[in-house]
Amino acid sequence: MKKIAGRIVWALISLAAGFFLAAIAVNRGEPMNSFWIVLAAACTYLVGYRFYAKFIAAKVMALDDQRATPAERLRDGHDYEPTNKWILFGHHFAAIAGPGPLVGPTLAAQFGYLPSVYWIIIGAVLGGAVQDFVILFCSMRRDGKTLGQMARDEIGKLGGFTALLTVLFIMIILLAVIALVVVNALKGSPWGTFTIAATMPIALFMGVYLRFWRPGKVLECSVVGFVLVIASIFGGQAVANSPVLAPWFTWPATTLAVAVMVYGFLSSVLPVWLFLAPRDYLSTFIKLGVVAMLAVGILLVHPTLQLPAFTRFVDGTGPIFAGKVFPFVFITIACGSVSGFHALISSGTTPKMIAREWNAWPVGYGSMLLEGFVAIMALIAACSLQPGVFFAVNSPPGVVGATPAAAVSTISNWGYPVSVADMNALAADAGEKTLFYRTGGAPSLALGMAHIFSTTGGGPAILGFWYHFAIMFEALFILTIIAAGTRVGRFMLQDLLGQAWPPLKRSTWMPGVFATSGVVVLTWGYFLYQGVRDPLGGINSLWPLFGIANQLLAAVALCVGTTVFIKMHRARYMWITAVPLVWLVCVTFTAGYQKIFSDQPRVGFLAEASHLQSAINAGTIAAGKITETQGTIFNDRLDAAVCGMFLIMVTLILVDSVRVWYRILSSARQVTVDESPFVLSRLQVEEL
Amino acid sequence: MRAFFRGVMTLLREIADENAYQRHLRVHGRVHSGAEWRRFLDDRLARKFAQSKCC
Repeated sequence: MKKIAGRIVWALISLAAGFFLAAIAVNRGEPMNSFWIVLAAACTYLVGYRFYAKFIAAKVMALDDQRATPAERLRDGHDYEPTNKWILFGHHFAAIAGPGPLVGPTLAAQFGYLPSVYWIIIGAVLGGAVQDFVILFCSMRRDGKTLGQMARDEIGKLGGFTALLTVLFIMIILLAVIALVVVNALKGSPWGTFTIAATMPIALFMGVYLRFWRPGKVLECSVVGFVLVIASIFGGQAVANSPVLAPWFTWPATTLAVAVMVYGFLSSVLPVWLFLAPRDYLSTFIKLGVVAMLAVGILLVHPTLQLPAFTRFVDGTGPIFAGKVFPFVFITIACGSVSGFHALISSGTTPKMIAREWNAWPVGYGSMLLEGFVAIMALIAACSLQPGVFFAVNSPPGVVGATPAAAVSTISNWGYPVSVADMNALAADAGEKTLFYRTGGAPSLALGMAHIFSTTGGGPAILGFWYHFAIMFEALFILTIIAAGTRVGRFMLQDLLGQAWPPLKRSTWMPGVFATSGVVVLTWGYFLYQGVRDPLGGINSLWPLFGIANQLLAAVALCVGTTVFIKMHRARYMWITAVPLVWLVCVTFTAGYQKIFSDQPRVGFLAEASHLQSAINAGTIAAGKITETQGTIFNDRLDAAVCGMFLIMVTLILVDSVRVWYRILSSARQVTVDESPFVLSRLQVEEL
Repeated sequence: MRAFFRGVMTLLREIADENAYQRHLRVHGRVHSGAEWRRFLDDRLARKFAQSKCC
């Protein structure tokens, strides 16, 4: 009886998923309430989790709770420790949730909500969650090996080396693009700049508090830090209203870019307990809290989406970034549905903490679905803005015009009416001088979130607080990623250069630490500065580059997964990883090709370089601008080279993988699986 | 509801490394002190921040 009731419930959920997805797809002209999208995502994710993921777990991976996991076999109380599955679920989710699923869907909203909704829902179920789950499984069966180690062991030395190199290059581009998001959110904003600047001494205070005053009291210290950060938001308001103090914190984008680089350098060379660790604790707690608040806010307010299902920009003429809906919506959303970076987490700490094999099902697959939900919420927040406001905030002056009057005229002519008075009123409510040209996604997302939060109570009177709270939340954890990424980049470089000159490898040799930190900061800083100076806003060139790199890393992870399935004699199920792999290769190679070779200057790097060179040759560039234009030409060619390098590296891994698959599938000889041996689990329930 | 909040607190302690510290004390048979905490934290953070954070 219970079984029949269960089947009826799941049949109803499946029907509901199909109904809501169809209703969203066919709706035109009628305002779309966000509740439909929330329900479509919830029902589809439930069905995917219950049926597709369970099928993979049972039939393909053959998960076995009798088999001792590395957490049990290698238990050391440090890295390897059997952990309760829901605790590990939260821990893993906190590790994979970054700015990508928030910023990506916000930028992709320029195509309208429909392409993004479908890709976030379907991509997560069939691609992203599968990748995370499969890599977690592979690593768990191999004593917690990293993606790079597995690529080397399963595919070959070339694959392993290329995977490591890909990670390093992706990190450089990632750090540059997320730094650009912060810079664009804070430029000309004394309130935001003061709030973020105040988090630096707060972090130092927390570091000392935790190390010397109250050792071990991390939660207590984080509560103190949170109270101080909230106080700094109010302090920022006072600074913004002060005619004396406001100019001190009103910084142009170039100054902010230099400040972020100095911050990255200091984070890399200062003791980790003093600065980076306290910020990391605080930002993780705030991130989880804000995600929960946004979920509650959307359920309470369930705003109507103001952006249409499709905008006119599906044709590739979008102001935020150029390029048609295919392939650019997939590249732009990135982490919200498929993220190659997750493979690094799934083969990092998490596999060493899995208590029972079946726990990989909720932890690996379920966490990614939750991240898909975060992406859906970010999309809803962005799409709840009036389209005219959304485009006025996100469009660079190089596209819509250098004055507010020109910008509103251009945007209104596109069919998305907005006026300077509307924008000024909104800026005043948000406590900003202007909200024009705030490219990067963070400000429009913060506006959408502030709108939802203030609707639950307080109204427009506290819109400014919520806007700056959202900006603080985004900037705080983006800056923590920049700090941690710079440090990791420094380690990688020290390792690499240490092969040639051993002193560089020592993390205690300060000249080496300073030099390698400087090189890493200057490398991502160069791309950041290039983005800041770009008249098209920087996001147009850097976000697609990041998206392509991230999706290509996912392709590397899926190559590893497919190879493992074949070696496990599960070749008949290789479509589970091979289909998303083929899709990602098609999408990323199309996007990569277009970014390099498209003949439209706003899309193709080489076309823009050629266009600018022709303008210089024709004498249409003012004499004072020639040096700057030549710099842009160089940067375009550099971006094209970086993009081409990503494509070449992944082609190498793909070719190597196909060679391995062919050799195994065409040969009659038995292939052995490189898994840890079976050991019977003796873990007791009360140990968890 | 109580179980839910207990679960949330355990998660927060896990993220805060407080649970890991308790495990460290148990495994090595040591008692809490400022010096012990600093020894644990230095080792923990060195490994934690050897990996990049997710995007």
